[in-house]
Amino acid sequence: MTGCTKNKNQLLYDELAHFIADLPERKGALISVLHKAQSIFGYLPREVQEFVAGQLKIPVSKVYGVVEFYAFFTMKPKGQIPISICLGTACFIKGAKDVLSELKQILSIDVGEVTPDGRFSIDTLRCVGTCAMAPVIMIDEKVYGNVERKDVKKIIREHQ
Amino acid sequence: MGTVNITINDKQIKAQLGSSVLSAAAKNGIHIPALCDNELLDAKNGAACRICVVEIDGRKTLSPSCATAVSEGMGIRTDTDRVIKTRKMLLELIIANHPLDCDTCEKNNRCALQTYCSDYGVEDSRFAGGETKNYAPDTSNKFYDYDANKCILCGNCTRVCGELQVNGAIGRAGRGFETRVAAAFDESLDKSVCVSCGNCVSACPVDALLPKPKGKRRSSETGKVKTTCPYCGVGCQMNLIIDDNHVIDVEPVNGLANRGLLCVKGKFGMEFIDKPDRLTVPLIKRNGEFVESTWEQALSLIADKITDVRDKHGADAIAGLSSARVTNEENYLFQKFIRMLGTNNVDHCARLCHASTVTGLGTTLGSGAMTNSNAEILGADVILVSGSNTTKTHPVLGSFMKQAQTRGAKLIVIEPRRIELAQTADVFLQINPGTNVAVYNAMMHVIIEEGLQDKNYIAQKTENYDALKALVAQCPPEIAAKICDVHADDIRAAARLYASADKAGIFYSMGVTQHTSGTDGVKSVSNLALLCGNVGIESGGVNPLRGQNNVQGACDIGALPNVFTGYQKVTDEQARAKFSKAWGAKLSDKNGLTLTEIIRKSGEGDIKFLYIMGENPMVSDPDLNHVEQALNDSEFIVVQDIFMTETTAFADVILPATSFAEKDGTFTNTERRVQRVRKAIEPIGQSKADWQIIMALMSKMGLAQTYNHPNEIMDEICQLTPLYGGISFERIEDEGLQWPCPDASHPGTKYLHKDKIARGKGLFAPAPYVPSDELPDSEYPFYFSTGRILYHYHTATMTKRVEGIRKMFPKSFVQIHPKDADKLSIRNGDKLIVASRRGEVTTTAKVTDMVKQGLLFMPFHFADGPANMLTNPALDPVAKIPELKVCAAKIKKVSQT
Amino acid sequence: MDVVTSLNNMTFYKKQRRIALRNCGVIDPENIDEYIAFDGYKALATVFEQLSPDQVIDNVKQSGLRGRGGGGFPTGRKWELASAKQSDIKYVICNADEGDPGAFMDRSILEGDPHSVIEAMTICGYAIGANEGKIYIRAEYPLAIHRLERAIADAREYGFIGKNCNGNGFDFDIEIKYGAGSFVCGEETALIRSMEGERGEPTMRPPYPADEGYWGKPTNVNNVETFANIPSIILNGAKWFADIGTDKSKGTKVFSLAGKVNNVGLIEVPMGITLREVIYDIGGGIAGGKAFKAVQTGGPSGGCLTADDLNTPIDYENLLAVGSMMGSGGMIVMDESDCMVDFAKFYMEFLVEESCGKCTPCREGTKRLHELLAKITQGEAALKDLQTIRQLCEVVKDSSLCGLGQTAPNPVLSTMTKFSKEYLAHITDHKCPAGKCTALLRFSVDEGNCTGCTLCKKACPTQAITGEVKQVHYIEQSKCIRCDACYKVCKFDAIIKK
Ligand SMILES: Nc1nc2c(c(=O)[nH]1)N[C@H]1C(S)=C(S)[C@@H](COP(=O)(O)OP(=O)(O)OC[C@H]3O[C@@H](n4cnc5c(=O)[nH]c(N)nc54)[C@H](O)[C@@H]3O)O[C@H]1N2
Ligand SMILES: Nc1nc2c(c(=O)[nH]1)N[C@H]1C(S)=C(S)[C@@H](COP(=O)(O)OP(=O)(O)OC[C@H]3O[C@@H](n4cnc5c(=O)[nH]c(N)nc54)[C@H](O)[C@@H]3O)O[C@H]1N2
Ligand SMILES: Cc1cc2nc3c(=O)[nH]c(=O)nc-3n(C[C@H](O)[C@H](O)[C@H](O)COP(=O)(O)O)c2cc1C
Ligand code: SF4
Ligand code: SF4
Ligand code: SF4
Ligand code: SF4
Ligand code: SF4
Ligand code: FES
Ligand code: FES
Ligand SMILES: [Mo]
Repeated sequence: MTGCTKNKNQLLYDELAHFIADLPERKGALISVLHKAQSIFGYLPREVQEFVAGQLKIPVSKVYGVVEFYAFFTMKPKGQIPISICLGTACFIKGAKDVLSELKQILSIDVGEVTPDGRFSIDTLRCVGTCAMAPVIMIDEKVYGNVERKDVKKIIREHQ
Repeated sequence: MGTVNITINDKQIKAQLGSSVLSAAAKNGIHIPALCDNELLDAKNGAACRICVVEIDGRKTLSPSCATAVSEGMGIRTDTDRVIKTRKMLLELIIANHPLDCDTCEKNNRCALQTYCSDYGVEDSRFAGGETKNYAPDTSNKFYDYDANKCILCGNCTRVCGELQVNGAIGRAGRGFETRVAAAFDESLDKSVCVSCGNCVSACPVDALLPKPKGKRRSSETGKVKTTCPYCGVGCQMNLIIDDNHVIDVEPVNGLANRGLLCVKGKFGMEFIDKPDRLTVPLIKRNGEFVESTWEQALSLIADKITDVRDKHGADAIAGLSSARVTNEENYLFQKFIRMLGTNNVDHCARLCHASTVTGLGTTLGSGAMTNSNAEILGADVILVSGSNTTKTHPVLGSFMKQAQTRGAKLIVIEPRRIELAQTADVFLQINPGTNVAVYNAMMHVIIEEGLQDKNYIAQKTENYDALKALVAQCPPEIAAKICDVHADDIRAAARLYASADKAGIFYSMGVTQHTSGTDGVKSVSNLALLCGNVGIESGGVNPLRGQNNVQGACDIGALPNVFTGYQKVTDEQARAKFSKAWGAKLSDKNGLTLTEIIRKSGEGDIKFLYIMGENPMVSDPDLNHVEQALNDSEFIVVQDIFMTETTAFADVILPATSFAEKDGTFTNTERRVQRVRKAIEPIGQSKADWQIIMALMSKMGLAQTYNHPNEIMDEICQLTPLYGGISFERIEDEGLQWPCPDASHPGTKYLHKDKIARGKGLFAPAPYVPSDELPDSEYPFYFSTGRILYHYHTATMTKRVEGIRKMFPKSFVQIHPKDADKLSIRNGDKLIVASRRGEVTTTAKVTDMVKQGLLFMPFHFADGPANMLTNPALDPVAKIPELKVCAAKIKKVSQT
Repeated sequence: MDVVTSLNNMTFYKKQRRIALRNCGVIDPENIDEYIAFDGYKALATVFEQLSPDQVIDNVKQSGLRGRGGGGFPTGRKWELASAKQSDIKYVICNADEGDPGAFMDRSILEGDPHSVIEAMTICGYAIGANEGKIYIRAEYPLAIHRLERAIADAREYGFIGKNCNGNGFDFDIEIKYGAGSFVCGEETALIRSMEGERGEPTMRPPYPADEGYWGKPTNVNNVETFANIPSIILNGAKWFADIGTDKSKGTKVFSLAGKVNNVGLIEVPMGITLREVIYDIGGGIAGGKAFKAVQTGGPSGGCLTADDLNTPIDYENLLAVGSMMGSGGMIVMDESDCMVDFAKFYMEFLVEESCGKCTPCREGTKRLHELLAKITQGEAALKDLQTIRQLCEVVKDSSLCGLGQTAPNPVLSTMTKFSKEYLAHITDHKCPAGKCTALLRFSVDEGNCTGCTLCKKACPTQAITGEVKQVHYIEQSKCIRCDACYKVCKFDAIIKK
């Protein structure tokens, strides 16, 4: 942070700091704050966790322990187009694992990884509540239902 | 508490209501295995290992006995096939994921897991061959190692660190099978906020957390001796683990003073005990060199010298410095000896420490001790910490404060430095050093202005209120804000918060006492507490945190120039007659000299014989150039210590004393609790316990004393001292007793001034703000203040002999604010010269925004680059305490790193 | 493949009795006026005007409503316990974590009729003397969250909640708390820890939330569907509700029917209806003309039922009696192509990941169960492993700290009991009868379909496939490691797995 303009990162921290300042109660707010932080930064790098710990006056190890506990929180940035695939029971029964292996093969990455160009990442989910359309893939808020192996290429191409 | 009827394995048992099935069983000789049960922790958060499961009638699944409370009519079975099979399976599960190399394991023979596997005949696991954890062991902490592969995830360590130590250095990371104990970001412990208290280590049932091996492998302990920590005034209870006359480990004991906690010094700081450089034989200086002598020679020499001096110059040419490090019994004998010689020239380091507390609170309340008890901190609504770096200097009490915070207590911190407690404080007033009185007066101004004072209490229990009111009326926060360099609104906030509490405790220490206005500072604190009715209530009070392990005792027992034991004045005829009769000696009716005066007069030739027991003034006294000169010019000095020190260099005779681990006796901790010190090992070399040395010397001088054991000395103390009247070794065998304890049936006193303030009425003693003796100016532009760090203790004679501590803090440093550092192009680690009007030292810069801008802070532990080269010996006029907390200094950069 | 941009365009309602779902799909959930038009907030008004807190509780007790979150604890009794506690602060928590992977009852209610939950929570607050309500909802439900936020704001604006709600001097407000992807956080003690900003590690019960819950205060936790029944019970009377269903299970139950049936989706049926009716009459039978094999109820905590169980009338007790449980309402139907060992392994993998890791039996035990099941599906298990599995299952059930561990072995035990032959086939014959377990399959080339494209040959990591371009390829069995690579790349369905 040099000069008279704040850099972008600083603005993001300011946003988070404002959110925290506006909380009616800081006690117990850690998970809400982490949700907010992840929505601002896209992920929860170490510095952000340290910032949150400092603001909430709680140990960093606790923030880290919580981040590590919940599948929703990630310390790794996701791709520009994060692909989530449901591995819930209905989707599993309807062949989600095949769809997943197809996805991994096409993108040449594993679950939790990002393609080298930073474009795609794969994550798994446990049921998004659209089991009637199992198996499903989610890209942002968009849900692809009754996905078959052969559909995967199409879906990816749509976003390339 | 009530009892309930339960049956365990068909046996009818009466159990304490509220106790767990596990402990009820244990009380009746039924052993249930347990890996995660810990009496200190909230059982609700535990019950993780499940090894303690039992069958309870009417319950579908097995219940963890450690976390199941007994209830009327409960039927319990601890030994059915179902229970046994379950336990075996659990052990199989654990060892499938545990490197079972017991034979080479440090924990061999005292490992709970190993014991249970052998009890239940579990040798191998059907699940072996599956995935196991594979972490790199963490050996980065200087005192203990962590091997995650041995961890069985009982959860004790993280709960201790979070719930009790309230540090949160470690926590659980990951979940499910990936769960592990880890510092933030899985980094090594040395990068974490771990304060090396070792409380986690003590709670670990296996070899996952273990003190660093110190050459000896602890195969089987040969003994365990409960005693009291020899460092600070908290008075932690501990077991020394003994193997072959060596103290090889320390365990916390769940005593009333410490509730099962220790700090790094107590847990890991005992290496000094059997260091090869302990003093082991008496030494006599011949031609500038120390030569070994026999006890007989050394004591004869001393006795002759004393007789000579007394005969030639009178008894007042003799002086002794007693010690807050040694036992009550030893202090008693020391002052008895000096006084029987016919002088009251006896004092000790309390002079540098809480002398102003004794004068201040003595005036306002009638007793200079901590009013309340350690554990009462847990129940306070508001805690005001001022001039006490509690988490570092009374670490266990610091943790109590943090525990209170987790329970909702509010915290106010008044300090020139952003100490650890300031970081989580509700109000933090970062004042200029030396401005305590101003800030308190302003707080009282706000309280009275807003009508927040306790009017009933003031009317019934205090006097001189109007004078206070008149004084503080002239001290609005706006004025204080300027003096102290804080916001007036923050002063208001602090005042309101303090006044709003039902139970507010004030905790202060050197930041209030070590000033030329020390007595006034203490009075102001007392005024504030009285104003809000906080004296004489549980979890409230005015609590001077006494520093040394036995400084309270040394004062109680009369190692002061103006009082016999129990603060009975030497100038009081009746008292003198009593002691004179008991001791069979004529006693001086004149107040003796104080420590600072004694040192000065030794140099000036008025004192011809100086006996220093367990003090190291060549590092701890202000203005060391002068101290050195004085000691050099002294005629004859005896130093009785456990190590060669900076002071022994000036001695004519050095007497080797035993350490606390080699003797019996008592210490009185900060909360007035008299606790046992127990002999754990035989004396090192020819060293002798201080009481034995003094006794021998007295006998040599014809003042024959015949005590066979320190308990006989305590009996004598009790007879002469109403405050200690009911205390005996027998009564304090399990738990110590808090004075006042006037007779054998008295239960001791948890908090003072309960029914009535000791002096009758609480006295408001208005004190106007007076600036410190020496303030920054253009030549010496910085405030210079001194104090302590967590790991070292005072002149470091003991702590520098602990390998881990020495590695962490090998040399002196000075804290400087980044902005100040910037201006002078000083970077972290640069070599600096810090100078005051009295001298200069070379030291290292530690750039940190913990200090206020314009302030330099230097720990005084390091003989190499000693802070006291710079400090100002100016004294508080009443207490004669030097102004160790404020003087003016300048700095110069020497080199870069 | 279907693409939808909204999660809420499921319209699937048949032969059902709708109480909890009464408004779903009927009203605009984002319009409070529509809810009001359908008798919304009338129950709340009735309660305020006509009933004392005790009377409300009595009504709920009389209705026989039991918790729909899985446990089936009588709701009225639960309210009574919380009401009896003296405390300055009490809480009402709505458990909207819906962790069962393959179930979406609660999501649908929150998306389709959020006000019913808000109304019910307020009634509960009034009944037990709580002034604060919290909804713990999983972060995976953005639309439900959005609707709830909107509904809470509207309800507050209309004065149904907030300070002095309905002008009756009673304060009650609702706040949303978010989950973050942890199944165990549906368990009430873990949920409370999570709401307090902690890792979702369950704690010992007792103390139960009714005694020491959120921030140590008396807390009543109920499931979304449980709450959704409340307004109707108040409006129509306890007896009306109690008349529906079976002896001990009153009212209706919402199920999310998924898997291999023709009609998948959300259904609400009266207690006592048979599984057969649900699967065949409502579900329209098995898709693709395949044979019915099993139905899993109760999610990862439940068990599977076979054709023999199809005539079982669905209620809490009956499902337990046949070796499964009601659970929260997931209902997954499997056909002949599903391997039950593989299915048990799937749940165990889920539980290994979702175990919080606090207690030994669950943390270590689920892991070893999964390893043993994997061993079976790999054809590497021996018969004695079955005994080990059984013993381990018993210990995990018997000694785990929370419901997750205590029920984790259920899918294994129920499949082992009901499909023991299938287990044995894997172990002794090294065969997966359903053709799912790759390691036990024989890979060969369908000469008719093979075009000789060489894709499979290139994909094979062990060079087990030979064949020239445009010639039929051949798999050498001794070299094949059954990695499935050839099957995955073949575009002509020419690889046969059997
Ligand atoms: N680790 C460790 N623990 C010890 C000791 C030790 O040597 N090492 N010594 C023991 C002994 S004998 C004693 S007396 C105690 C002392 O315990 P403390 O008094 O807690 O220790 P200090 O570091 O001397 O000073 C405390 C604080 O006073 C602050 N201070 C300085 N000037 C002022 C001021 O004008 N006003 C206010 N409000 N604060 C000020 C300093 O910033 C410092 O943080 O510790 C005991 N415990
Ligand atoms: N600048 C500055 N100076 C200060 C302070 C400050 O804050 N700033 N604080 C002052 C305060 S509060 C205090 S209490 C003093 C402390 O000053 P001192 O009491 O001089 O310091 P210690 O290092 O504790 O010295 C005790 C000596 O006793 C020895 N000893 C330990 N156990 C035994 C035993 O059983 N028998 C015998 N015979 N000897 C033993 C130790 O080896 C050590 O040499 O320092 C004061 N000096
Ligand atoms: C592992 C586990 C997961 C659970 N998940 C949920 C859940 O997602 N939703 C829910 O309402 N109850 C869930 N429960 C049950 C809750 O603990 C609790 O019993 C329920 O919310 C109470 O509400 P009810 O009485 O209305 O059913 C779960 C229990 C366990 C043991
Ligand atoms: S920790 Fe215990 S069980 Fe493990 S190897 Fe060491 S002695 Fe054996
Ligand atoms: S040594 Fe103390 S501070 Fe460090 S991890 Fe252990 S309990 Fe926490
Ligand atoms: S390190 Fe020790 S105390 Fe900590 S969880 Fe592991 S076994 Fe328990
Ligand atoms: S807090 Fe004090 S008494 Fe306790 S272990 Fe530490 S130094 Fe010793
Ligand atoms: S049973 Fe499983 S989820 Fe529950 S507390 Fe134990 S480890 Fe955690
Ligand atoms: S299981 Fe995939 S959406 Fe429900
Ligand atoms: S000792 Fe009881 S569960 Fe660990
Ligand atoms: Mo001290």
